[in-house]
Amino acid sequence: MAFRPVFIAVVVAFALIVSAFLINRARPRVETDQPSATLVRASGKCAECHTRQQYAVVHEYEMSRHAQKGINCLDCHQPANAQAKQEHHGFTIATRLTAGNCRSCHEPVYQEFLHSRHAAVSWAAVFGEKGLKPEQVEFAERFQPGYARRPPHPFVALEGPSAMTSGCANCHSIGKPNDDGTIGTCTSCHTRHTSSVAVARLPTTCGQCHMGPDHSQLEIYEESKHGLMFHAQERQLNLDARPGSLTTRDMFVPTCATCHMSGLNGQKVTHDPSDRLSYYLADPITRPRPNKAHAQEAMKTMCTQCHTRPLIERVYTEAEHVVTSTNAKVQQATDLMTALRKDGVLTTPPFSQPIDFVYFDLWHYDGRTSKHGAFMGGADFVQWHGNYPMLARTVEMRAMADEMRRRHGRP
Amino acid sequence: MGGRNRTDRLAAWARDHQLWVELFVLLNLGGLVLDIYLAHSQNQFRRASEYVPLYFSLAAAVALAIVLPVRRQWPAVWRDVGHLVGWLAVATGLAGVVLHLDSRFFDERTIRSLTYAAPFAAPLAFTGLGLLLILNRLVAADTTEWAHWVILLALGGFIGNFVFSLTDHAQNGFFNPIEWVPVVSSAFAIGFLIVPFAAEVGIAYLRLCGAILVVQALVGVIGFGLHAQADFRQPAGSLFERVLTGAPPMAPLLFPNLVVLGGIGLWALSRQRAGRARL
Repeated sequence: MAFRPVFIAVVVAFALIVSAFLINRARPRVETDQPSATLVRASGKCAECHTRQQYAVVHEYEMSRHAQKGINCLDCHQPANAQAKQEHHGFTIATRLTAGNCRSCHEPVYQEFLHSRHAAVSWAAVFGEKGLKPEQVEFAERFQPGYARRPPHPFVALEGPSAMTSGCANCHSIGKPNDDGTIGTCTSCHTRHTSSVAVARLPTTCGQCHMGPDHSQLEIYEESKHGLMFHAQERQLNLDARPGSLTTRDMFVPTCATCHMSGLNGQKVTHDPSDRLSYYLADPITRPRPNKAHAQEAMKTMCTQCHTRPLIERVYTEAEHVVTSTNAKVQQATDLMTALRKDGVLTTPPFSQPIDFVYFDLWHYDGRTSKHGAFMGGADFVQWHGNYPMLARTVEMRAMADEMRRRHGRP
Repeated sequence: MGGRNRTDRLAAWARDHQLWVELFVLLNLGGLVLDIYLAHSQNQFRRASEYVPLYFSLAAAVALAIVLPVRRQWPAVWRDVGHLVGWLAVATGLAGVVLHLDSRFFDERTIRSLTYAAPFAAPLAFTGLGLLLILNRLVAADTTEWAHWVILLALGGFIGNFVFSLTDHAQNGFFNPIEWVPVVSSAFAIGFLIVPFAAEVGIAYLRLCGAILVVQALVGVIGFGLHAQADFRQPAGSLFERVLTGAPPMAPLLFPNLVVLGGIGLWALSRQRAGRARL
């Protein structure tokens, strides 16, 4: 046999083998470094179909920090403890992800979230204890006493399930008890597939729920200097900056997250948005929070990253005056309602007489708005969306009360 | 006397390379029915056009099965039906490549997307089979040219095997080092089958090529076993689902399949070489 053909054959074969190794080596490390074949397949196999079926999902994922870090579809979609498993084209996955999936990597963040009013308390505000396990109620009560062990809101029965499902639950399910024993879903703020810090830092993300007449935080922010500057300079901000090393060089204009959650210039990051809040502003009569001193100092420290102490103290002092005066106005209205009930003039269940709604709007809309406006630099909300309608409703309530007393012969 | 006739008939059959290639094409088109059913089921036959190769391979196999026995009696029928099926197969294969181009690789031309692209070269199997039918009708089967063309088409198949065993196993992350075996073995098949086009080769080299092909066949059969084993093990709702989404059991059988084609080419070429040596 001639040597030449054998030589050519071996050289060609070897060249092909070497090129195969080189091609495999050039594949992204996210794939070649995965610990199992299933995970390797997941990174591209899922995209192969879903790029065509739901392009946006794959595109959003590919832009995410998760993708940069080599976290693939199956890392998040692996069924966590007690989650329903589904066989999906050769992969065992969970389709409904909860905080139970995120906590497998972000446990400390989940624990902070559990302490917060975004967790069980948020759910209980509408649906009461229903659906929450006793230990979840117990846990929430330790950190938010009086806000988890409660009955469902009267509107649940009065407005019916469709209003609750399509309305209240959309925001309040940030603290929904899940079948897997966890609470909530991180995607409420971080959005699915993007898992984005930048999105969570946007005012409009918080504004998905913190808007409208009962909690006008987004509108107040938009009116404030903070909001004005954000819109003017949003493109210059580094919304994607890593939470652990965020500075005022990245976020020289604050969004909701900057003041309430971020670890600006070395401050501690928190996923408990009420960690730096010193009052229960959402209540009819505002009381200081149990950790007021610590919380207020934490928020003031955050303010000092951009402002001087005298300005901060002035804002707090003025806002606390608004709280005191709003409390007095709400108390006046509450006293009026209590007297009507005590005197047997108002005997029907809550939310069955027009005066019930006027009273509710007075504290729930106007009172809250004036207090939030005072702390967040929303002058118009302190006055025209807060104190002015509060005055008008007080007058209206008095007239209604007089008329009711006259009708009952108890002037 | 009767024994001698039988021996002659066997010798004539052994020399009838044309018949072997016809049978090869016929069986492959039949096999493609199942292969395409499985492959396009993965896509749930999302587009109506995905049924075309399924029905075509079935109809083509039936048509060839009908005309093959009358090859001697009605050569014109055999020739014309073969041409029709052959050209349609070429067209189906090329159209399939174009339709498969609508894959991730052409959105994003990276090695990663190539790895996960729809197998855009796979429809070329039709083109190869069609070319074999046309070759069988345009080139005399007892010539060196015919043998070279058959080897070339087998070589094309092994190039496909090399690319697909590389990309398919890359999808699996070469989790088991044994997944490199088909890559290496098909590289050797390519290396050895390419030589007859670059240099004059003798009978001994063709025998060596035959040995290389035997190894390919073994690799394919073992691969079939390993793929089937993996499909039985992996979690999924049903065996069909596992076959559909797991390791494709039919894929390794491409190796012995191409061994048959390459073997026909080598056998025909060696007969040419032997004849020339006698002269």
